[in-house]
Amino acid sequence: MGLRGLLPGRRPRPTPGTALADLAEASAVDRGTPLAEVQLLALDLETTGLDPRRHEVLSVGHVPVVQGRIVLAQARHELVRPQGPVGESAVHHGLTDDRLAHGPDLALVLPGVLEALRTGGGEGVRPVRRVLLAHFAQIETAFLSAACRRLYGTEVPLQVVDTLTLAQRMLRVPTPELASGRLRLDACRRHYRLPRYRAHSALTDALACAELFLAQSAELAEQHGRPLRLGDVLAR
Amino acid sequence: MDVELAEIRDFLAEHAPFDALPADVLDRLPARCTVSYARRGTVVLRPGDRGDRLYLVRSGAVDITDDGHLVDRVGAGGGFGMSALVEHVPTRYAATAREDTLLLELPQPDFDALVAEHPSVAVHFAATHHGRITAAIAQLQAPARGSAVLKTSVRDLLRVDPVSVAPSATVAEGARVMTEAGVSSLLVMDGAALLGIVTDRDLRRRVLAAGVAPDRPVQEVMTPDPVTLPAQALALEAMLEMTGRNIHHLPVVEDGRVLGLVTTTDLVRLERSNPVYVVADVQRQADVAGVVEQAARIPAVVGQLVREDASAADVGRVVAALTDALTRRLVVLAESALGPAPGRYAWAALGSAAREEQGLGGDQDHALVLADDADPSDPWWAALAERVTEGLEACGLPRCDGDVMATNPRWRLRVGGWRVQFGRWSDEPAPDAVLQAAIFYDMRAVHGDADLVEGLRAEVVPLGGRSDLLLAHLTAQAARMRPPIGFFRGFVLEDAGEHRDTLDLKRGIAAIVQLARVHALRARSTALGTGARLTAARDAGLIAAEAATDLTDALELLSYLRLRHQAAQVAAGEAPDNHLDPRRLGSLDRRHLRDAFAIVRAAQHGLSSRSPQVG
Repeated sequence: MGLRGLLPGRRPRPTPGTALADLAEASAVDRGTPLAEVQLLALDLETTGLDPRRHEVLSVGHVPVVQGRIVLAQARHELVRPQGPVGESAVHHGLTDDRLAHGPDLALVLPGVLEALRTGGGEGVRPVRRVLLAHFAQIETAFLSAACRRLYGTEVPLQVVDTLTLAQRMLRVPTPELASGRLRLDACRRHYRLPRYRAHSALTDALACAELFLAQSAELAEQHGRPLRLGDVLAR
Repeated sequence: MDVELAEIRDFLAEHAPFDALPADVLDRLPARCTVSYARRGTVVLRPGDRGDRLYLVRSGAVDITDDGHLVDRVGAGGGFGMSALVEHVPTRYAATAREDTLLLELPQPDFDALVAEHPSVAVHFAATHHGRITAAIAQLQAPARGSAVLKTSVRDLLRVDPVSVAPSATVAEGARVMTEAGVSSLLVMDGAALLGIVTDRDLRRRVLAAGVAPDRPVQEVMTPDPVTLPAQALALEAMLEMTGRNIHHLPVVEDGRVLGLVTTTDLVRLERSNPVYVVADVQRQADVAGVVEQAARIPAVVGQLVREDASAADVGRVVAALTDALTRRLVVLAESALGPAPGRYAWAALGSAAREEQGLGGDQDHALVLADDADPSDPWWAALAERVTEGLEACGLPRCDGDVMATNPRWRLRVGGWRVQFGRWSDEPAPDAVLQAAIFYDMRAVHGDADLVEGLRAEVVPLGGRSDLLLAHLTAQAARMRPPIGFFRGFVLEDAGEHRDTLDLKRGIAAIVQLARVHALRARSTALGTGARLTAARDAGLIAAEAATDLTDALELLSYLRLRHQAAQVAAGEAPDNHLDPRRLGSLDRRHLRDAFAIVRAAQHGLSSRSPQVG
């Protein structure tokens, strides 16, 4: 970290040349951009729990949404070797210590995720960020932020669309009642009669979330009676 | 790369044509796709769009329309957009989401590669129905034909559950069980295990001749560990085993379980279901009751032919030949009872019987054609007609609802009378009369003076072919009989988009028959069979060679599925009909039927756009 990072009142900047620095260099997407032109990255993490200070990431799945289409060719799924045992959490995600033993450390997986969170750019074209898309996105943002702080010493710049927040808004549910089950990913998909996914993995859930988002944004556009802009769906 | 798109892969694996792809190809396919979503009412494809991808419905449903008319309704697992891909032309159709729909899209280059490498995929997505249905028929019917013993498995010969006793039963008890069940052999079973067999011959030789006491256990006189046959063995193998070992009973087993017993009698009966024997037996009958008894064998003959994979066209000819035999015998019996006929005449079959395209469960349609010097008012004709019609009814052929039978004096005419009648149909056809008239253009002499019928047809067919009004009415009739569009979620999908839960095969068949009839009439051909009529129309340049082949194939497919359905009904003791339950059709049959319907619809479209119209 350079001197500037120590100056008071200045946010630390990521070390140049790292995946996080490349992401920070990419342009943010304006809220007024037509949604059809916004690229998103549906992301799902399987973790040992909900608290990034105590729990660990076990697998990462992501798939981009480009021009309203989910691009399966760019779907990725990685298992991550945790520092500690998975313990009781295996009940939820089905990932065992044995299966994860040969996976890479999060430090090796994270750059791939950060890279997927922006477009490639090219000759004279500045890369653009992809908007992070997740269901109950706090988990993904919290773990991603914690990992970036730990590995790069700085925050990750994120724009987020949360299908859970959208569902709350569209169904006018006052409080996020995760336990009620009404807004769980599966339940939201059932609302749109999307096919049922039997297995759960980080990638399946990322894909399921992306499909849900396509259905939600189609309904929302109909409600608004006009094409959506990013600002219409952005959580933050 | 550990890309787990298993859900997408499994979805593809459940649907044709991807279900037939090798596992490694299937594994790589999901990553080539994109996923999109269409809200209800969204137009996914517009006519004139250049197709650049294949669409597969992942969930929801899409309506395919041509100029506002519903052409297809695609549910989960179905595809659309292929015609533009295959033909490399802008799409003709509009695709509109009928429900909120999730779509899986395969880009053109990946589609092309898949089609190039996997012929089954190419056939599935073939742009035209032509060829696809021909291939389907070839699949349905094994090309090699042979005698029944080569085609029938012993499983199909099993009639009743095997009769058995425990090994501890006495010989006397065994003999009693056999007598009560009326069988000539007895299985000795320990639970499900087959220990031995006892036959009439064993009782004679090993018990009576050897002086064994009847209270000895049956297992002392049985043949232990008898020769058995697996259920899938052919009747021929049973025949070879029996003659080779000089035995008359063979237990049939499957997975160690005894299913039943095949006897020499079963094999004899099998050969006797050869239609040639039935015709010969019919001719030997001295009274109506005997004829009726022989007629009862016809459903079994048809069942046998279907099992032997005879073509529907062949079965139609066989059923016609058998019906002819019944009719002839009944006419001859009536003649011998009534005395000689008061003039020359012909007994003529009408409709499907005349075309030799009968299935099971059809009714009677016939007429009398009398020589011009005969007297139609002679009561002899009515008496003949009544006797034969009554006999046929007893044989299981119901009387015609429309009274198109020789019992109706309107249809007992001299050649001259028929000429006038046909002239009326040609010159001043009222629309209502057309439906009735059409069947008389299918007329074939079954008994008597065939020249009378042939001479009449040689005159009246060209006459009808020259009548624009008659042709227009027949054309309208042929175009009205719309077959369904296809299938959607287990229902039959009709023109207006409504769903039905039964498929009436007769409508599809009738449409083709009517098309061929009007084409043949226009060609002034006296051909009777639908296939021959289509060939005549083709030779006259009235329809394209491809259309003639397609319609013939479509008729064969529809008729074959009808026969298979009817044979199954007869085997289950039900009355044969034309109504299929779409939910019980395999996906392949549904596809082939869709193709057949599409062929008929295309031919109807071509007919009505080219023919003179009724004002």
